[in-house]
Amino acid sequence: MRSSALDKGLRTGVIFGIVIAIMFLIGFTVTGAGLVGKLFGVSSSYNTPPLTFFVIFMVLMGAWAGITAAARSLTEPDTLKRALTAGASAGAVSGLISAVVGFIFGTLNANAIDPRTYLPMVSPESTKLFLMNQSPLTGSLMLLGVLTVSGAAAAGLSFYLRTHDGVKSGARNITESVRKTIRSEGVARVTNSPYARYGFWLLVAALLIILPRTWGGYWNYVFGTVGIYIILGLGLNIITGWAGQLVIGYVAFFAVGAYTFALLTAPEPHNLTMNFWLALGLGVLAAGISGLLIGLPILNLRGDYLAIVTLGFAEIVRILLKSDLMTEYTAGPRGVRDIAGPTLFGRSFVSDVDFMYLIIIAVLVVTFIAYRLQNSRTGKAWYAINLDETVARATGINAFASKLLALSLSAAMAGLAGVLFASRNQFTGPDDHALMVSINVICLVIVGGIGNIPGVFLGAFALKGLPEILRETENYRLLIFGVLLIVMMRLRPEGFLPAKRPVLEKSAQTSSKEAQP
Amino acid sequence: MMLHVENLQVYYGAIHALKGVSFHLDKGEVVALIGANGAGKSTVLKTISGLLRPREGSVTFEGQVLEEVPPQDIVRKGVIHVPEGRKIFPRMTVTENLEMGAYIHADRAAINRDMESVFERFPRLKERRNQLGGTLSGGEQQMLAIGRGLMAHPSLLLLDEPSMGLSPLLVEQIFDIIQDINEQGTSILLVEQNAQMALAIADRAYVLETGKIVMQGTGDDLLQDSSVIEAYLGGH
Ligand SMILES: Nc1ncnc2c1ncn2[C@@H]1O[C@H](COP(=O)(O)OP(=O)(O)OP(=O)(O)O)[C@@H](O)[C@H]1O
Ligand SMILES: [Mg+2]
Repeated sequence: MRSSALDKGLRTGVIFGIVIAIMFLIGFTVTGAGLVGKLFGVSSSYNTPPLTFFVIFMVLMGAWAGITAAARSLTEPDTLKRALTAGASAGAVSGLISAVVGFIFGTLNANAIDPRTYLPMVSPESTKLFLMNQSPLTGSLMLLGVLTVSGAAAAGLSFYLRTHDGVKSGARNITESVRKTIRSEGVARVTNSPYARYGFWLLVAALLIILPRTWGGYWNYVFGTVGIYIILGLGLNIITGWAGQLVIGYVAFFAVGAYTFALLTAPEPHNLTMNFWLALGLGVLAAGISGLLIGLPILNLRGDYLAIVTLGFAEIVRILLKSDLMTEYTAGPRGVRDIAGPTLFGRSFVSDVDFMYLIIIAVLVVTFIAYRLQNSRTGKAWYAINLDETVARATGINAFASKLLALSLSAAMAGLAGVLFASRNQFTGPDDHALMVSINVICLVIVGGIGNIPGVFLGAFALKGLPEILRETENYRLLIFGVLLIVMMRLRPEGFLPAKRPVLEKSAQTSSKEAQP
Repeated sequence: MMLHVENLQVYYGAIHALKGVSFHLDKGEVVALIGANGAGKSTVLKTISGLLRPREGSVTFEGQVLEEVPPQDIVRKGVIHVPEGRKIFPRMTVTENLEMGAYIHADRAAINRDMESVFERFPRLKERRNQLGGTLSGGEQQMLAIGRGLMAHPSLLLLDEPSMGLSPLLVEQIFDIIQDINEQGTSILLVEQNAQMALAIADRAYVLETGKIVMQGTGDDLLQDSSVIEAYLGGH
């Protein structure tokens, strides 16, 4: 009978081998090596990264395979031999698969056959890197060796770490003492004192004022986008996170805000050149009203009509904006240009830094409103409707009006985001308002933790900021999205920061204390 | 007459659920509505509380016509519906659930007083005040649903199968509580499968069969009636 350690190793190895092969076929091996390089502070965005980084990347993959395969088993005693067998076999099998793939493509390259007709990402350079700049045979053998050794080594190491009390209790002692310090009274006194809180907020304020000045144009652009998506996320969170009504075509309200603002301030096609702040208000208002009008006929229906209707609405808006039919009114497929930037007391402030401040202020205002709403009577009513609409109505909540209010507020916030977006780019066209924007916002709300305000911030950073920081991964954004969503659904089904529902009743808790003599 | 229901005709799409139901309830009464599964008992309550609209007929409460009034305003008139099936907010705590019951009231101090009196009536809920509603046992959830109804200060309480799925001991307890609520001045329209118990505490009762009232009388009368015994009390 085959030992279960070997069995586990073989199966894990096959999975990791296939993953590595696919990574190679979609060109992710180069990206992965580039990311490793970035960790070491070497920026190598657009050229093939050095071999060392690729080897490190492969060692990490092998180690991952080894650790996975050598995880403690419930049915077998945990011995070093078992761990090493599982780790080495997992590494070897994944190495074998990688080696075969590398050998095939290396040979193709040597015979001047370019596989890029079918696999556009398999360039000669990436194949060469995959084979560690060696001949096909040597290269694939080295790949096999690297993965086997790293798999076995990592398995052994993980076995050592989990079986040696010295290491384990050492680590535990450290975390324990750190936790104790954090919880200790002295620290608590400092963190709970009002001065600490003021100090903290002062620090945050100072950072918010100083950082945009030091970031430079590119990062101001990136974090500006994050800010705009935070506003979108907070908005969607109202109707979807709190009131529980799925809205798929959220981008429609973004478009209404952006276009209202654009058409009111741009010289073409209407030459209205309205004041920035007035146009901003009207953009937000128009979006809010469009939410109201969409909600009126459907929000008294049960079920997911809202999701479908908004989806349709978003597509209609985009197609109308794109059509020649409307060119006279909306500037057609080419979009609206020369949209106004903000002015204050006659001075126009359109630099990156100025605009970043504007976005920060908008984010703060929207966050404040969101917190107020969450703790309000209306917020409770939304949550009740979300949980059980029939009972909510039986307790005296006007479900229709509540949902309508939620949708209008959500739409208005999307409108604000649209205004900021159009004004910052000084341009907006139909393609800025594709459905992908909605999907991004839904994803960021879910990833962050649906119904939770800090979660929206985290989600926006993760989905809009990280991809820019990890610039190399741009082509794989959707892949990373998908992986992130799957990982999150497995590990944290309620999002990274699940909503802690507000403590609705403080006075009831104090009265319970009074009631206990 | 506190509540007067006249010739109610209610449809679910093509299904004709109530075919001309008429009955009344006087102030201070406990009136029971009994009948087999699917007879239309819950439909009657939903129509009174405004969750459903009748196609024909009228509901009059203390001289005011209700059938055009939206449910949230019916609640404000003091007609409180406790729906069937332990309908509570599963992801809110006991306290929060009770608070939602007082949604139409604004006076904080009064709400806290009401909550204490609900806790007095249901000490079990008090022990579990910070537990999520969804994690309560079935009986506790039923108590919570009734407690939530009381938080709104009902002058007429519509109870839909409060004893459903409860152990015999708890059933007795719930019926004692219902009687007690009634004695403190709340009129009660009680829908029940447990006809024996319902008729025992009801001043008057109606028997509903496939959307029609087929019999009425005082609770005691119906308890003696042979056809009622046959159909609803499991007698021979
Ligand atoms: N939402 C609905 N859609 C369609 N038909 C419905 C709906 N709700 C109830 N009905 C139908 O209306 C009739 C009366 O239902 P109702 O719930 O009032 O019965 P009930 O007397 O309360 O029964 P039970 O004792 O089982 O609760 C039944 O035939 C039922 O199938
Ligand atoms: Mg029923």
